[in-house]
Amino acid sequence: MQTLSRVFTATGLAAVVLLFGLTASPAALDVRGAVAGQQAPALRLPTADGTYLSLADQKGNVVLIDFWASWCAPCRHAFPAIDQLFVDFRSRGFRVIAVNLDEKRQDAVDFLVARPHGIDVVFDPRGDSARAFGLTGMPSSYLIGRDGTIRYAHAGYTDKVLDAYRLEIERLLSEPAGGEHTR
Amino acid sequence: MTRTGRMVLLTLAALAVAMWTAGCATVQPWERARLANPCMVFDYNGGQADFASHWQSAREGSSGGFGVQGGGCGCK
Repeated sequence: MQTLSRVFTATGLAAVVLLFGLTASPAALDVRGAVAGQQAPALRLPTADGTYLSLADQKGNVVLIDFWASWCAPCRHAFPAIDQLFVDFRSRGFRVIAVNLDEKRQDAVDFLVARPHGIDVVFDPRGDSARAFGLTGMPSSYLIGRDGTIRYAHAGYTDKVLDAYRLEIERLLSEPAGGEHTR
Repeated sequence: MTRTGRMVLLTLAALAVAMWTAGCATVQPWERARLANPCMVFDYNGGQADFASHWQSAREGSSGGFGVQGGGCGCK
């Protein structure tokens, strides 16, 4: 009987350790995604030709950061639509940084070659930037105001959100460049 | 081996298992390339899957329980 109770004690102890381990694992401690109102995390990543593109250099512009990968169907769907947004708003100070998260660069290159585009694409195969932004889904996009703060965050993509994007970009572009929270 | 020895061994084994299990990691949304591969979908051919579920319900009286919506894409 004593042995049995010890077995139960040991199992109970193990369960406690297990629960503790699960809650204390890095995944459970992940910060929640970057949210509207926060200063955007720093972003500096290489483009296809090896030059680095930095979000900090875009201060004064309205920037859409789009996290995508070639294996993600809604991302593939969103890509041309976001390129069109860039074409429509670029003259008013709108930029797009499309952060590719493919582990294999070639997958992204194959996708991009087949789709002529005007938006800047940068590559982050390790996903450090995705971690910094705390992505909750793919694709994820963040609209950064002229002052460098995140103003809108979207996870996932359907054609329906395109109108929301336009409205939000329009709103951010109409804000003065030297607004009250600027610099 | 004494009874105490066995108990210690058992406890250590339980602890080891507990720690290994706690080592499970969450696959982040941007790490799901392999999960999103079409070969990860149970019913890749939608038409064939529909047909199979039709004759299963007609011939065998079995229906439902054919997995969840969405297949293998880990996008969201």
